[in-house]
Amino acid sequence: MTALLPPAPPLLVPDEATCAATVEKLRAAREPRVVVVGNPNVGKTTLINAVAGTRLKVGNWSGVTIEKREARLTHGGRPVYLLDLPGAYSLSPHTPEELITRTALLDEAPDAVINVLDAGNLERNLYLTLQLLDFRVPLAVALNLVDEARDKGLTVDAAALSRALGVPVVETVASRGQGTGALLDRALRGATLGIGVRYPEAIEATVDDLMARMEQVPTLPPHAHRYLALALLEGDPSVRGRLAATGHTALLDAADAHLAALDTQGVDALIEIAEARYARAGDLARVAVPQAEARRTLSERLDRLALHPWLGIPLFLALVLLVFRLTFSVASPFVDLIGGPLQDTLSGWAAAALAWFPLGRDLVVGAIIPGVGTVLSFLPTLLVLYLAMSFLEDSGYMARAAFLMDRAMRGIGLDGRAFIPLILGFGCNVPAVYATRTLERRSDRVLVSMILPFMSCSARLPVYVVFAAALFPRSGSWLVWALYVLGMAVAFAFGLLLRRTSLPAEGGGVLLELPPYRFPAWKVLWKHAWRRTASFARRARTTVLATVAVVWLLLALPAVAGGKFATVAPQDSLFGRVSEAMSPIFAPLGFGNWQATGALVPGFVAKEVVVGTLGQIYLGEQAAAPAPVGLLAGAQQALGATWEAVKTSVAALPTVVALPHLGADTTADAKTPLAAALARAFTPASALSYLVFVLLYTPCIATVGALAQEHGRRTAWVTVAYQLAIAWAAAFLVYQIAARLL
Amino acid sequence: MDERNLNELKPGEAAHVVALDARHPLRRRLLELGFVRGARVAVVRRAPMGDPVEVRVNGTDLALRAADLSGIRVRA
Repeated sequence: MTALLPPAPPLLVPDEATCAATVEKLRAAREPRVVVVGNPNVGKTTLINAVAGTRLKVGNWSGVTIEKREARLTHGGRPVYLLDLPGAYSLSPHTPEELITRTALLDEAPDAVINVLDAGNLERNLYLTLQLLDFRVPLAVALNLVDEARDKGLTVDAAALSRALGVPVVETVASRGQGTGALLDRALRGATLGIGVRYPEAIEATVDDLMARMEQVPTLPPHAHRYLALALLEGDPSVRGRLAATGHTALLDAADAHLAALDTQGVDALIEIAEARYARAGDLARVAVPQAEARRTLSERLDRLALHPWLGIPLFLALVLLVFRLTFSVASPFVDLIGGPLQDTLSGWAAAALAWFPLGRDLVVGAIIPGVGTVLSFLPTLLVLYLAMSFLEDSGYMARAAFLMDRAMRGIGLDGRAFIPLILGFGCNVPAVYATRTLERRSDRVLVSMILPFMSCSARLPVYVVFAAALFPRSGSWLVWALYVLGMAVAFAFGLLLRRTSLPAEGGGVLLELPPYRFPAWKVLWKHAWRRTASFARRARTTVLATVAVVWLLLALPAVAGGKFATVAPQDSLFGRVSEAMSPIFAPLGFGNWQATGALVPGFVAKEVVVGTLGQIYLGEQAAAPAPVGLLAGAQQALGATWEAVKTSVAALPTVVALPHLGADTTADAKTPLAAALARAFTPASALSYLVFVLLYTPCIATVGALAQEHGRRTAWVTVAYQLAIAWAAAFLVYQIAARLL
Repeated sequence: MDERNLNELKPGEAAHVVALDARHPLRRRLLELGFVRGARVAVVRRAPMGDPVEVRVNGTDLALRAADLSGIRVRA
């Protein structure tokens, strides 16, 4: 199959450069290029997973954290390049996702477009289809979720819709892989330009004139002329801005003259165009779904509970608590396994293998294995947490959370959607900072980014877990829950302060879709969670390993005369001395010793390093000489421990839902060496204060980088300074109160 | 017939769109989502804290704040 139209020259302005690389790639592809477009929540991700399978490559659109899915595959013996464009309600962009989709369609005519529709919600979905028909690109329609539509009592007639639209329409059930092969067939062989909307005469005459003018401008891609003309009449600010930036002012002037003329005739082009599209969408929907029998759906029944006037919010908070409990109960046996037996075995092997080279052995056994091992031991926790969060996102519940919390967010001049980056902040602050781009107003984006780091990211969780196991074995989940809540409270208070002082709220409306609930596809969830966890692991490999190695070096370098490299006592090392000098600052907080202070410093690089460094300081000084272990004995030991962990984890599953006693922490029975060391070094009060400080103090360097990139260095450093001050003050209060009570 | 603002409807009530306020901050988006003349809209429920309001249009459930609903004129 060849392109219907000659390749178009690029039409780019800097702020849309995010798409440039992809458009280039699309242009360079030799094989037929098929792009997939559709509304959010129509099962597009599931569909592309079903079509591409293992050939699917998931990455990010450059510069944004919006996922980009593409695949090169062979279909019917021929190669195809498949690109999934982000979910869009319309091609007049209001969100970064829509901007990417619109720009990709505008800059390069693909060989075919697959438009995925929700068969149960055709009228709204067809609006986008009708906009796509304003482009001159071959189209094929996937009528997805037909099973769901039929369950709702709808009769779906794909053949009738195909006749009315003039493009192939294929029924699909993406979750079961039904119809996906036929869909790709039709997209490659049968896609057609279709029958677009006929707008009122006054509009069509204007469109014709604008298109005739565009013929004279070789830089404008021909497949987009009609779309551009309509967008100009709709007053689409992004198209206007883009044409202005690329020097097409004559065209803008012509459009303005037309708009003024239409206005004197009493024609509001924006309304006329929308009404014409909806009139056609309504007709099409009646053709495709001749019988719509109203039936109460599962979503409506679920929402009666989830959005219940007084059960809704408690239910939401309980759900968040359940997620954290699940994380603990299921993941902690594996956490103990990696941090304990597996690490011991590895250390034993390393000690045996490096017996001839003491310095190397000390580095490996004393720094690398405990540092990275401790961090890696939290991968199970992250995986479970990410799985749970992806489940809430993909099932449609996150939108309900935004709906429930909107009123509360309004207190700081934000809307419910701002709650989503904040929730993401629980996973990792870095993607959360980028996620603020979905907010429309700049002041909102800056505000949310500045309060975000108070949301306790998953890298802080390891610190809580270790301390909870060491000092609060009976009430670990409650303690962690309280820390999360404290983080949210501080974020809210700080947000209020910012609103009152430097970032007053801007006006503007709020709109949020509540999609039907869906049971997410496990495969998609798993891929999602695995990708996020793997990116954490990569960081652990690079940043964390480097930091831990530097700290080990500082620990090995003697700061006293006569000290010997690598054998100097920690308190006499360079690291000990520097930390010692800083520690008086933390004396009023209850942890003014060099060990606790020292671990905070590398925490600026990445919070998970706090645990790694604590392990190095407290364990490195004790476990200097691990017992060498033979290969076979070690393997036996590790396998046995793994089996035990699996059993414990499975056995813990039922206890997740048992509400009364929340401290079902398995960590209590088998304290790791680090937990035992911390139990000796901290009092409950100083541990609480330390945890509060870790919760609130400076965001990690990656978050600071994201803040600087999004909002400028000044904002980033102001955030760091504020947070240090707030953390100190809060930890001071906690210690002074707790020391008197506990 | 008597015209009302959409936010005067009680949960469970439905009406048809007459017009959008010309200065409505979400005018463009609302049109795209189907708040065109004659479209049937229903108020489903209010959020636990009274606001926002869940509105059904075109088979889609949307959450809008009461303040934004007041710029949407409807009639039974």
